[in-house]
This record gives sequence, C-alpha cells and structure tokens, in this order.
Amino acid sequence: MATARTLHVKCTTWEQVDVFCTRKLRKGKLLSMRVPFQTEIGAPVTLGLELPNQVVIAIDGTVMRASPIESEGKPSGKTWIELELTGFTDDVRHRITAMAAGEAEPDEEIQIIVAPPAQRTSPRIATEEMRTDERELFQQLSGELRRLRQAAVHEVLGVSRDAEPEEIRASWKNLIRRHHPDLVARRNAPALSHLAEELTILANRAYDRLRQALVAEGRRAVIGSTLSAPPGWLVGFEDMSSAGGSAPKPSPAPTRMPTAPPIVAARPQPGTAQGGEAFEQRARVMLGQGDSGTAREVLAAALVVYPRSKPLRSLYYVATALAALQDGELMLAQSQLETALAHHESCIEAAQLLEHVKKHGGHDPDLMKRLFR
Amino acid sequence: MTTGRAVGIDLGTSNSVVAVIDRDGAPRILTTAEGSTTMPSLVWFSPDGPIVGEAAREGLDHSPDVTIFGAKRLLGRRYDHPEVRKLARTLPYELIEAPNGDAWIQLAASRSISPEEVLALILRELRRTAEQFLLEPVTRAVITVPAWYDAGQRQATKDAAAIAGMTVMRLLSEPTAAALGHGAHRGHDRRYLVCDLGGGTFDVAAVDVEAGVFEVLATTGDAFLGGDDIDRALVENLVRDVRQSRGFDISTDAVAIERLRLAAQRAKHELSEHTTTKLYVAELAQLPSGKGVEYSRTVRRDEVELWTSPILKRLEQPVREALRRSGRKREEIEEILLVGGMTRMPAVRRELARVGGREANMIANPEEVVAIGAALEVARLDGTIEGVLLIDVAARGLAMSAAGGECEMVIAQSAVVPTREHRLLATRQEEQTRIEFDVWEGESPDPTLNRHLGRYAVVDLPLAPAGDVLVLVEVTIDTDGVARFGATELVSGERLTLEPVQHAGLSRADVTRLARQLTEAS
Repeated sequence: MATARTLHVKCTTWEQVDVFCTRKLRKGKLLSMRVPFQTEIGAPVTLGLELPNQVVIAIDGTVMRASPIESEGKPSGKTWIELELTGFTDDVRHRITAMAAGEAEPDEEIQIIVAPPAQRTSPRIATEEMRTDERELFQQLSGELRRLRQAAVHEVLGVSRDAEPEEIRASWKNLIRRHHPDLVARRNAPALSHLAEELTILANRAYDRLRQALVAEGRRAVIGSTLSAPPGWLVGFEDMSSAGGSAPKPSPAPTRMPTAPPIVAARPQPGTAQGGEAFEQRARVMLGQGDSGTAREVLAAALVVYPRSKPLRSLYYVATALAALQDGELMLAQSQLETALAHHESCIEAAQLLEHVKKHGGHDPDLMKRLFR
Repeated sequence: MTTGRAVGIDLGTSNSVVAVIDRDGAPRILTTAEGSTTMPSLVWFSPDGPIVGEAAREGLDHSPDVTIFGAKRLLGRRYDHPEVRKLARTLPYELIEAPNGDAWIQLAASRSISPEEVLALILRELRRTAEQFLLEPVTRAVITVPAWYDAGQRQATKDAAAIAGMTVMRLLSEPTAAALGHGAHRGHDRRYLVCDLGGGTFDVAAVDVEAGVFEVLATTGDAFLGGDDIDRALVENLVRDVRQSRGFDISTDAVAIERLRLAAQRAKHELSEHTTTKLYVAELAQLPSGKGVEYSRTVRRDEVELWTSPILKRLEQPVREALRRSGRKREEIEEILLVGGMTRMPAVRRELARVGGREANMIANPEEVVAIGAALEVARLDGTIEGVLLIDVAARGLAMSAAGGECEMVIAQSAVVPTREHRLLATRQEEQTRIEFDVWEGESPDPTLNRHLGRYAVVDLPLAPAGDVLVLVEVTIDTDGVARFGATELVSGERLTLEPVQHAGLSRADVTRLARQLTEAS
C-alpha cells in the first residue's frame, strides 16, 4: 500500500531555483533523490518547492523507481527514488520564471548580501542580528561554492560553451558583484570572507580561462586585459619529470584547449563519488592516438578534482609508462605499470601492457589502439 | 572585535598623506603638526632617536648620511638589482646587502635597518597624526601601493604597517585610489587612463568604470622615474654650472649637493607657475679659507625642460605598454587623469597629452587625491559606501621552478585577482621526504630574467618510491595582490607543511619582534 508523502525543497536563492529547474530535473520532470522513508513504485509524492520569496509551490509527482538504500548490509530506511513530477507543468515553470525575473534584479541581489550597516548605538543587538543572517549567508555561499567547484568553467559563469565574449564578461561581472569578498568585509567574519574569496577565485579563474580560450581560438583579439599566458597554462599543469634523469619531452603545446575538460555536474549519488569519467574517456582517446604526454596532463588535472579515483590514478601511471616506452625506457615503464596495478588491480590496460612489455619489450602502437578503443 | 578607527594612507616615495572619512561621510585630509597636508616621507636618525616628517628636513642639511628619503624605492628590492645599484651611487646614505639579499640601509658601521622599518616609522607618524585628530586609537588602514608592486613588495608594505601597529585592510593600487578619489564612481561610465607621477615612481593604469565597478585592465609603471629623478637631473646640471662659473667641484660634497637639491626642488615648484625663477643657496660650500660660498642663479623653464628631457621621454613607454595590455586604442580612452605632484610640471602634462593622444585632465589636488581614494576605500570596506566594487589584476606573472629547472608560469600576468593556480610536484628519489621549489616573479622561462621571490620546501612527505608522492602546490594571489602558498599530498589529500627556506623580505618573527620594539620605544 503506497502512502502519500510530501517532500519539502527549500531554495534560498534564485540560482538554486534555477539549478533545480535546469540541472536537477531531467527531461524537465524527472528528479532523482534520496528520501528518508521507504516507498514503492507508483506512490504519490507531493513536492513543496519553497522559493526565496517564501512562496511555496506544491508540485504533484509519482515515484517511478525506488531502490532501498542499505547501510552495512541492513536496510537504512532510506530510499533512492526517481520521481516524475507530473505537476511541473509549463504553467508552473512560467510562474517561477516570472517571480525570479521580478525578484532577481541585480541591485536587489547585491542588497541581499550587503545589508545596511549595523547601528552603532546598539552593538549587542546588531551582532545578534548579524549572526542569524550570517549563518544563512554562510549556508548560501557554501552551497554555491560546492556547486561551482563541480562545474566546468563555462558552467561556473553560467554561459553556454560557445558564448559570446560580451556574454562571458557580463556574467563574470555579475558573479563578482554578488560574491566579491569586499561585500562581506565589513561583517568581519573570517568564515564568510573565506567563502566569498573562494567563490571569487572560481569566477575569476573561469573568466580568465574562457577569455584566454577565446583569444586562442582567434575569436577575439582581447577581452578585458591581455593575459600573458603560455600555451599550456589552460591545463594548469606542468609536464612532470618524476623519475630521475628521464625527463620526458614536453608534449606539443595544445594550440587550442577549449576550456577545462567537461566535468559533468555532480550526480546526487554519494555512493559513486568517484566520477571523472569524462576525463578518463578523454585520456583514453589520447592514449589510443599515442599522445601520452597530453593524456598525462589531462589525468593530472583530473586527479586534482578526483584525488581518490583509482581508475584515473592507474591510468595516469599507464600514461607515464607509455611515455617511457616511447623513449625506450623499459625499466621505468615496467615500474610505472606495476605502480598502476598497485593502485588499481583491475586495470586491464596496465596488466596487458605489463605482460606485453615483459614478453616482447618495447612499444607497440597497434596494441595501444586495441587497448584504448 | 574591530576596535579603533581606520584611516586611508597614501604612502608616497617623497610625501605621504593620511585621510579619514568624517562622520558626515566626507573624506578629510589630515594636517600634520606643522599644518601641512602632506608629510615628507623622511626619517632622520638623529642622535636623540628617529625624527620623522617635516622636522627631519633639518637632518638633510646636517647629516644626509643618516637621513633616509625614498625608502619606498628600496622596499622589497634586491641589493644587486641593477636599478638599485644605479640608485645607490646617487644616494647620500649607504646601502648594504641583507643576509637574504635584500637592499638595506646602513646607518652606522654596525647598524643597518630595513626599508620596512623606515616605512614603519613614517606610518607610525601618520597614525599619530590621525589619532591626535580623531582622539581615538587607529588600528586599521588602507594603504596605497604602486600598481606594479609585486607580491613581495606588497607583503613588505604590510609588514611595515604591522611594525607600526596597524592592520592593513587593503592594499590599494594608487591609480585605482586616484580614480576613486576623483569620484569616478559617482560620474558616468568612463574608460580612464590614470597617470601618476610622484616623487619616485611613475604609474599608469587603464581603469574602466562601469556602473560603480572599477576594473583595472592593465597596470604598468617605472619604479625609478619620478620627481627625485627630475631633481637629480637639475642638481647634476647645476653642479656643472657651479664648476663652470665658480671653478670648483662640489660633486663629492654631500652637504653641498643636498643644499643644492633643496634649492633646485623649490625652483622646480616655482617653474610650474612661472617661466623663470631665482635659485639661491646662501652657503653652498666652504672655501679652504673657511669663507662660505654663495650661489645664486636665474633658472628658466625651457632650460629645465631641456635638462630633464631624457627623463620625460621615459614617460612614453609605460603609457604605450598600458594601452597595449588593456587592448585599448588611444582613441578609446575617454579621460586621462593626472595624479601626483610632478604632473604640475607643464612639460610632463605636455608629454603625457602627446602620448595619450588627448588633453589630460588635471585634477585640482593631485597630491591628495590618492589619500582621499584610500579613505573612500575604508568607507567602502566598512560598508558605508555601497555598490562600488574594485577589480584588480595581477601586475606581474608568477612562475615556479623545481630542482633548478626552467621557470613555469603559474599565475599569468593580468590574471584577475584573487586567483589561484596550482602545480604538481613529484618526488624524484625513493623515500624522498622533502621537495624544494622556487618562486619567481616574471614570465620568462629563464630564471635569470625573473626576480627570485623565495624558495620553499614541502616537508614530511610520506615514504614511497620515486614519483609516487605527488604534491599539489597551490598559489593564491589575494585581493591585496599578496601571494600565499599551500601544499597538499594528492594521494591522501592531506595538507603538507610548507617551510620557507629563503625568501625576500622580513620573516614573521622579525615583524613581531620589530613591532614590539617600536611600541616599547614610544
């Protein structure tokens, strides 16, 4: 017997609403999430979407998929569900958009962050007031930071991959206007300043990379000021010379490096937090083409984002080994492949390559193609 | 927890200014005890202790070897820097190489002092001026710095403030401060080119103002071009004139040179208004008989312009470079702002108008506008001015190198700050527990073309085969333009300890010790 349930989703900012509508919902109405109750397919669930202006919109939905979550072998009482929001009609969507447009004037947004200065006459009350709104702001900013950390550069700025320079510049400025640490400086709250700085750093880096990419693509001579950046800068990583004496030749500088590799926005599945498949695929293609140097740079970059991903790490060592093989450094290659296996024992490529190196020695492009296609 | 008031300080090479925001929200320039709005950035280490400001001018006369002017030019500079070597030859006081290679000042045979400490004395004097006016303790300040200051020089400025007992709320670029002080945030959206020619430095910045957002697009400058150089050119020519007309050489007489410099400076100021002026030194030098020599001469404006033309020519390159980096054509600049006392000189205005392609806008108070901007920045950070935002760029690129290899750029020049970049380092030997890396300011892969900022070591690495330990070094440039470093071990995700092996500027411990000493001394 399916019980009707109500879920409450609270969005404190219009960005969150936007994220909810555009990213969280697949096909416009499918929502996957973890719920703290047991339920079954076909159960009616109503979603109460609370908007930043305190309006709550009730959206009806039905559970389309349900899988109970187990913790340490026992049922945890929680369930992964996929919810089809049948009530999320175009009409509802328009209402939300209209409200967002009415509320989200740029000036308003700045004022959300920059509250009027606290009265000096009653400092005690002022600090208490600040604490509550500080806590809210803290939560809002840290949520935003978590979201942006997972996003690719163009997503950080909220523009499309082929956005026009003016668009990039405008949305960067908008982001800075919202998050610049100066806006919270007067609160004298180190935690807030830190969050604001981190957000601004993300925005600035995204902006610098996007405008540099546009210049590199020849779409624009200059946006903002001229960045003097070397070609490899966009990748952000040096060609590491790890093993003594066998410094690999730097890979040919990528002439066109379109922004950061596409990192898919975090899926709400904490169990598979490994991620980085996009990186992995890209690296595989490069390895298949024999471009181990670039592959290694990509993997190194990926490891920053997904430091615990075993496949990425082992692939990194495989890439190093391939570079060594191309240089005829058999011993080094072998040790790198062994390292790869030590990190991730089910790395087929490493195992096969190691076998090949032990048997035949040397480099075999055909094997590469077979392995990485 | 914020106790004490905050002030805006224009810490200039030759003159400093302090400003506050009045209760009605209007900026106010504070006057020194002598009733002047600007205080000479001078410290005379007299036998009775250091004397700062106007009163130290006496020291220039008596004991130029222990009267320090222009300490800002030496801040965060290496002793063996060619420009410092050139400057050292013309200074009446001695420079000495500090253990870490910085340029310090030798006061006596066994006593040397860092430029940071000299600036701290000046900052403390400004702080006192403000405290006397406000009748409240002053603990925080916005201090302006030249836009081209690198991370090391910015840190040094912060250190100087810390020694003087003040926390720096923000290091503000002088051109940005000038634009803010000029009231650009209240006016129309404009594309500005700010040219700031002060006592010791020349700064150029292309600043866009759009709906209250100041965006610095490019900053350039010449660290060794300013009023002092004009003075020096005048003195050199006057020394030649003395030799020709009086028949004796005073070029080795420090006292005579100093007196001539003061007279030349006065003449220079007068020539901004008039086409001729009279230069007079009552007692330039003494004859072997003990009789004093008087020197007087009429100086013409065109004469001075001829003498200084090689210096004025150097104004062109930084302006062109700023335009190039900002991606602007000359015609796209909507207003040229002239800041700094030296822009009163007609020849300077003419040259900048020629290079900038339009008549420059002379503001009424070129000496004070930067301090006003600093005071407005205080108000902005305190939240009393809203809707204004300043966006700055990294003046110089930052590069890293490991194991004596090539420098690799980490922070690109003109990257918007705050920003952060990272590099991966890997161990090269089995069970290596320590990786050292160098940090450079500059963009060249050749280390010799960059400025060494310091060497750091990542220590206590986990034991593992060669290449297995990956260290992610993160370089953060904050809103002050100061660099911070952090290191993480990639496999475990643990933070690692970074040790400074050797670096320019004072150490944390030095700053704390000096700050304590200065508080005790007063």
